[in-house]
Amino acid sequence: MERLTLEEIISRFRSDRRFMENVRAFREIPAAAGRFSPLPAWLHPRLRAVLEARGFQNLYEHQAEALELVRRGRDVVLVTPTASGKTLCYNIPVLQRALEAPDSRALYLFPTKALAQDQLKEFGEMARGLGGEIKSHTYDGDTPDDARQAIRRQANVVITNPDMLHAGILPHHTKWQKLFSSLDYVVIDELHTYRGVFGSHLANVIRRLRRIARFYGKDPLFICCSATVANPGEHAARLVGKEFALIDRSGAPRAAKTFIFYNPPVVNRELGIRQSALAPARKIALQLMGNGIQTILFAGSRLTVEVLTKYLKDGAEKREPGAEKVVAGYRGGYLPELRRRIECDLREKNILGVVGTNALELGIDIGELDACIMVGYPGSIAGTWQQSGRAGRRADRSLALLIARSSPMDQFITENPEYFFAGSPEHCRINPDNLLILVSHIKCAAFELPFEEGESFGEEKLEEFLAYLEEKGILHSANGRWYWTAEHYPANEIGLRSIDAENVVVVDVTEKGGRRVIAEVDWDSAFTTVHEHAIYMVESEQYHVDRLDLDRREAHVRKVDVDYYTDAMTYTDIRVLDGFETKQDGNAVVEHGEVKVSRKVVGYKKIKFYTAENVGYGEVSLPEREMHTTSYWFTLPLAMLDTLPYTRAEMIDGLCGLAYAVHHIAAMILMADIRDMDRCVADRSGRWFVHFGPGGRKPASAGSDSPENFDPTVFIYDAYPGGIGFSDLLFRIHRDILAAAFRLISSCPCAAGCPGCVGPVLDVGYRAKKAALSVIETALGSPPRKSPAPPALETGGKNGRTESVRRKGRK
Amino acid sequence: MSIGDKLRRIRGEGGAGRKEQPPQAREEEGRSKDERIDDLRRRIREILERRPSGPAAARKSGIPRGALPGEEVRTRRGSVLVNSSRILRNDFHGKRRICETAMPMDRIGVLAGRSVFSPFRCEDALFLDTETTGLSGGTGTFPFLVGLGWFEGGNFVVNQIFARDFDEEAALLTCLSDVARERKFLVTFNGRAFDLNLLATRYILNRIDNPLSGMPHLDLLFPSRRLLGHRLENSRLATLEKMVLGVRRDYDVPSSEIPQRYFDWLRSGNAGLMTDVLEHNRMDVATMAVLVGHLCDLFGSADGFAAAADGSDLLALARMCIDRGEKFTAERLLADLIAAGPGPLGTDAGTELSLLYKRSGRWAEAAGIWETMAGRDPGCLFALVELAKWHEHKTKNFRTAEALVAKALDNLPGDDIDWREALLYRLARIQRKMGCNQNGVNREE
Repeated sequence: MERLTLEEIISRFRSDRRFMENVRAFREIPAAAGRFSPLPAWLHPRLRAVLEARGFQNLYEHQAEALELVRRGRDVVLVTPTASGKTLCYNIPVLQRALEAPDSRALYLFPTKALAQDQLKEFGEMARGLGGEIKSHTYDGDTPDDARQAIRRQANVVITNPDMLHAGILPHHTKWQKLFSSLDYVVIDELHTYRGVFGSHLANVIRRLRRIARFYGKDPLFICCSATVANPGEHAARLVGKEFALIDRSGAPRAAKTFIFYNPPVVNRELGIRQSALAPARKIALQLMGNGIQTILFAGSRLTVEVLTKYLKDGAEKREPGAEKVVAGYRGGYLPELRRRIECDLREKNILGVVGTNALELGIDIGELDACIMVGYPGSIAGTWQQSGRAGRRADRSLALLIARSSPMDQFITENPEYFFAGSPEHCRINPDNLLILVSHIKCAAFELPFEEGESFGEEKLEEFLAYLEEKGILHSANGRWYWTAEHYPANEIGLRSIDAENVVVVDVTEKGGRRVIAEVDWDSAFTTVHEHAIYMVESEQYHVDRLDLDRREAHVRKVDVDYYTDAMTYTDIRVLDGFETKQDGNAVVEHGEVKVSRKVVGYKKIKFYTAENVGYGEVSLPEREMHTTSYWFTLPLAMLDTLPYTRAEMIDGLCGLAYAVHHIAAMILMADIRDMDRCVADRSGRWFVHFGPGGRKPASAGSDSPENFDPTVFIYDAYPGGIGFSDLLFRIHRDILAAAFRLISSCPCAAGCPGCVGPVLDVGYRAKKAALSVIETALGSPPRKSPAPPALETGGKNGRTESVRRKGRK
Repeated sequence: MSIGDKLRRIRGEGGAGRKEQPPQAREEEGRSKDERIDDLRRRIREILERRPSGPAAARKSGIPRGALPGEEVRTRRGSVLVNSSRILRNDFHGKRRICETAMPMDRIGVLAGRSVFSPFRCEDALFLDTETTGLSGGTGTFPFLVGLGWFEGGNFVVNQIFARDFDEEAALLTCLSDVARERKFLVTFNGRAFDLNLLATRYILNRIDNPLSGMPHLDLLFPSRRLLGHRLENSRLATLEKMVLGVRRDYDVPSSEIPQRYFDWLRSGNAGLMTDVLEHNRMDVATMAVLVGHLCDLFGSADGFAAAADGSDLLALARMCIDRGEKFTAERLLADLIAAGPGPLGTDAGTELSLLYKRSGRWAEAAGIWETMAGRDPGCLFALVELAKWHEHKTKNFRTAEALVAKALDNLPGDDIDWREALLYRLARIQRKMGCNQNGVNREE
């Protein structure tokens, strides 16, 4: 059979009417020539020789610019695409400095160990070219004990991760005296991954790092790199506490790429169910591989990776017996040897298809392939570009194909391609002064070095924290200094990535006197999943919860065989404590501020398998959980909503549907997990609220008695005590969010609501979708299309063909 | 609102519950009496914990100062309390008199595994043990008490430097520097992993040169574990002193309670909390002084055994000497053990010594030991095989070699296939050589 080239396959796609019906964007990203600058004159001759030997006769413009700024002592944040030579922007200054001052030190931070390994390899190659006296080492959980001392003394460049810096380096800084007393550069790559809780923690780890460096008389320069986000300079400044020079124009050349957004067809319009993304992924991947085109597929979970790998192996085998070995899975947990074999087979073209998880988008050395298929939106624009960057050789065209799942985020992106292509509206938000996070790191800092009078740490008043910790017996003041006075080691108790380490263990006590731990549930979901009399399911075994002991963090369960499952009924009550800012936008009053959220599980329903009949209720007595956090909210005039052609109940359904859409869009813009924030529909003054919890169908009416007058309000709040910094941004971009929600809902082809727009129709009611759209129009004061909106969300399509396809699909 | 209130509020730690009476009252009815009492207890405890205890207040009012033993010493970096005491030469500490501790520097070198001690005298040793605010390491652990000991005219002096508060740390370290300058080497128990690391950290934090870095150091933990640990449940100093040195403590603060005692002292100024800790530390320092004496005495004298030494300790010492290249001492110790008569210790000692001889090419002496071993235990496989090798390769007495291997085969447990194969192989080779020899051809391997 004659093999097709990638160009030919792409043009076949274009002329395939049935394929194009599902295409929402078909973009040609043209090749671009590079812009170059000569190697700087001040470059050490040996370093120049090494660079030239490695083929760098010139630098890209952005690299040269970064080097000049660093040379002049500026902290720099670099925002350029994948494969634009970012690492040289920090490796050159570090090597140059090490040649000028052999004792000089640098610290590199990467979010994962795998990335640190990649960097070690790259830096090591350059350093070896310089004769090998400049040493670099990774320092993380895998570093052998006997190597650690040598690394602390000798390594010019220590490559580590935030967790290790936090718990392994800073608390032992005296052992790292050599590093800190000569620390000239700190490099933070993948800056955009440090957002939300993790970023807020890291900002405090950096405060501690700079404090320790000051103790040794150093104020290192920071060189940061980030994927494209809307606020790189602001984010770097907030994370590091310094002002940064921003470089965001890439001088690197670019190969041509075809980018396709594919939305699988709707198969059940009633429920808004689409064809699984796996089906087209399988078909297209097999077509590409059948023509010898090397393809990488990214899937969201380990399970999907395994399923897809099997599909592709079966498909290849069917086409040609023995061909199943041209397909390989590649995910975390594979042994290094296996990985190396797969990498080698890819380079040798023995493997044509490789399937990986999103988590492995970075830090795998598999070279560059021809085509990339993303099964599901990777969750952020930055991540999507990074994954698609896996395909693309220097000279040839490459293909990137995004196949949408039915989640709101996937649907929004594919149905609104401009959001993706017109520059990033994604924001990295952190709140380093979140009290819980701040107080944790003040403890760590006090352990590392006693606090002195007049010192500051963060934006809050340090003396108050010190007094508080002294009152708790954790610190002790003597002569104007605060000393650590506890036996334990604070960094061990504080994880940077998790919100709350307290889990509830599920213990099977079916056997008399037996105690078998079968699962762990995080503290928050324990209330809804392992309350007393709940049916808890693990691997399709049913367990009845006999007892939930919150003090001991244990749930005792017994194996049962029943024909129902349970669904917790919760209520969320939200009260405004303090409004920080208010504005009138259209007909809505928009605010952000501090709120008190109370959540309580009040009971459960027994629901019969298959028929979903409600076969009983039970009551649950669990303590109410309260949390103070920050929120953004907007209130609509009841009188105006009453003029809309819906009943009160339908209007409330519409508000709930709107809240669902807004919640998802907010998470998307903030690159946050959907669980990092939560939503609630309630009365502005807290007299009334909609019972509305995860998994539980909301009662369509208001609280105990339905008041005639109330102020309907949608709250989107940070699901972390004290808030994580999302709300003021949401407040600022309120109008864009509503406009985006309108487009998400209006472009969704489902009949009356689905998980991709306002939520499943059975949860929100049959008129919610229409009502939600009317509510948005009321809120904005005009149909959203005519309103002026920022370019990122409102730019019309440049590709007429795609636009027409989309309209056809919708009408 | 205070930071504490804010933190409690955002965590939802009941702050709001108190304001809103109705929901709590409703809850109240549903709970048992016990639960309510528990709750009350908890709340009372919380209130008590919150009451300002005035950490330094009590102390500043002057209650405890006089009650702690010791005197105030002024240094360049402030004042610190030093408690000086002395164990007279003939005083017993456990089974030993303090003056019995002699420290021959060659033995100290073997114990430490380094030979840098030879120019020193017993009086140059500085014994050091710290008490700290935690055992976790890291920069937040504070050594509030440094116990120091040295020999002076046959007596043993213990000086304890005590920081009454964190702000006396610089003075404590300066005072330690002054003492250390007078001595030439350090003796600790687990100082390599703990005390010296910690002090190095504290010197850095206080920007004072560390006088201890570079001082030769004998860490008693390692030789103690090697020489005595094999017959003890663990090698902690408390175990060694009880089981080996016969030291009794009437009352002793458990080490694990010491950090909390210091924190309580800071808050309450109750000197009683600290006197126990000072005594604990003084005992530790004194125990190190007799322990080093005990370890040195294991080497014995040219005349024979150390008095009352455990044979297995001597075997362990002999093995350590072999590792450290101290052949003569090892030979003497092993010969004494063999001479002490048959038994497992004698066999082990014979094995070690004969191999030592063999490695040095002293075949006749080695063979003598094997003969003795085979004489004591005719089934001793090791001795039979070694003798067979000796006769096969050196004396060329193949017939004797053959008989020895045959005897070894007879004594071999039935299931030891590897040994059997090796022996059969050896036997065949010897028989082959015997045949060659009869033909007048001497073909050696």
